Amino acid sequence: MKGFVLAACRIVVGGLFLWAASTKVPDMAKFAEEVANYRLLPAALVPAVAAMVVGIEIVAGVLLVVGAWARPAAIVVSGMLGVFILGIAQALARGIDLKCGCFGGEEAASWLTVVRDLAILAPALAVAIGGPGRLALASRERPAGAEQRATT
Amino acid sequence: MKRTFLQIGLLCIAGAVVGLGANALSPRAVVLGKPVLPQAEAQPGTCATGGAAPSAFAAVPRITVEQAKPLCVACTAGFVDARNEEEFAEGHITNAVHLPPGDVPPPVLAQLKGYGTVVVYDADPQGTMAEAVAMGLREMGVKDVRVLQGSWTEWLAKGAPGSSGPCPVCGPAEAKQ
Repeated sequence: MKGFVLAACRIVVGGLFLWAASTKVPDMAKFAEEVANYRLLPAALVPAVAAMVVGIEIVAGVLLVVGAWARPAAIVVSGMLGVFILGIAQALARGIDLKCGCFGGEEAASWLTVVRDLAILAPALAVAIGGPGRLALASRERPAGAEQRATT
Repeated sequence: MKRTFLQIGLLCIAGAVVGLGANALSPRAVVLGKPVLPQAEAQPGTCATGGAAPSAFAAVPRITVEQAKPLCVACTAGFVDARNEEEFAEGHITNAVHLPPGDVPPPVLAQLKGYGTVVVYDADPQGTMAEAVAMGLREMGVKDVRVLQGSWTEWLAKGAPGSSGPCPVCGPAEAKQ
């Protein structure tokens, strides 16, 4: 049962990241503007970081969906979600009015966006801790702590 | 654990490569190495207002002169001049429609809706008036509205196409000149 729950978490989070990337690729310039609006990066770094964020979303999304390198992918995705949550929260706290930039479109960032990202973070962390679960391409990944146990 | 860190590193490198590739293939790629400033920077004091920032500002995407110039040359975008009449008469972007903040005449609105992209500019490099006009156009159903980054000053400085003369009807007749 746990294996299927982890598989569902992995596929849902991976699918969401792939969807998010697919909405950004058609207008990367706009996404870069949205990244700049968070005021977390020097302006010169924004284009490269925006491109890298989309690329990592694609790679991590694919890995999560197929279940290969699921734990590293889930750790990366959790880290990204953590940065998104902090980025949006600091902007809202500072009164900066900005668009979310999450799934394309004109969605304004709000505390609801923070809650939604937290809701996505939970299954991502579950995969990062519990592993890929069932239906994974690389289902032989060792669970957390296995390496340590194996050496003792 | 060491293996996991190695995989994370490889994943990030692969992501960076894929991201740069996706950007290269994007119809609206971001120019790498060219700084991208926050839109709200055009509104001094936005950060200091502590939540009182007007939501209308910073909501309109920018377009650079380099991106807008080919659209002007190919007549594939509508251009809107939000400055005053005298400034418009002295010189404006070729085929631009004179449209200061306020009501939009229905023929002008219909004409602008016919363009894939509409670019609004004013005299202020921060684009304050242009933002207001752009927001109005978006509320009236013009889909892809952008504010010209650097505005008229930068357009002129970069030698992009311009013309001069009054705006007799503030609308379609002039846009077809």
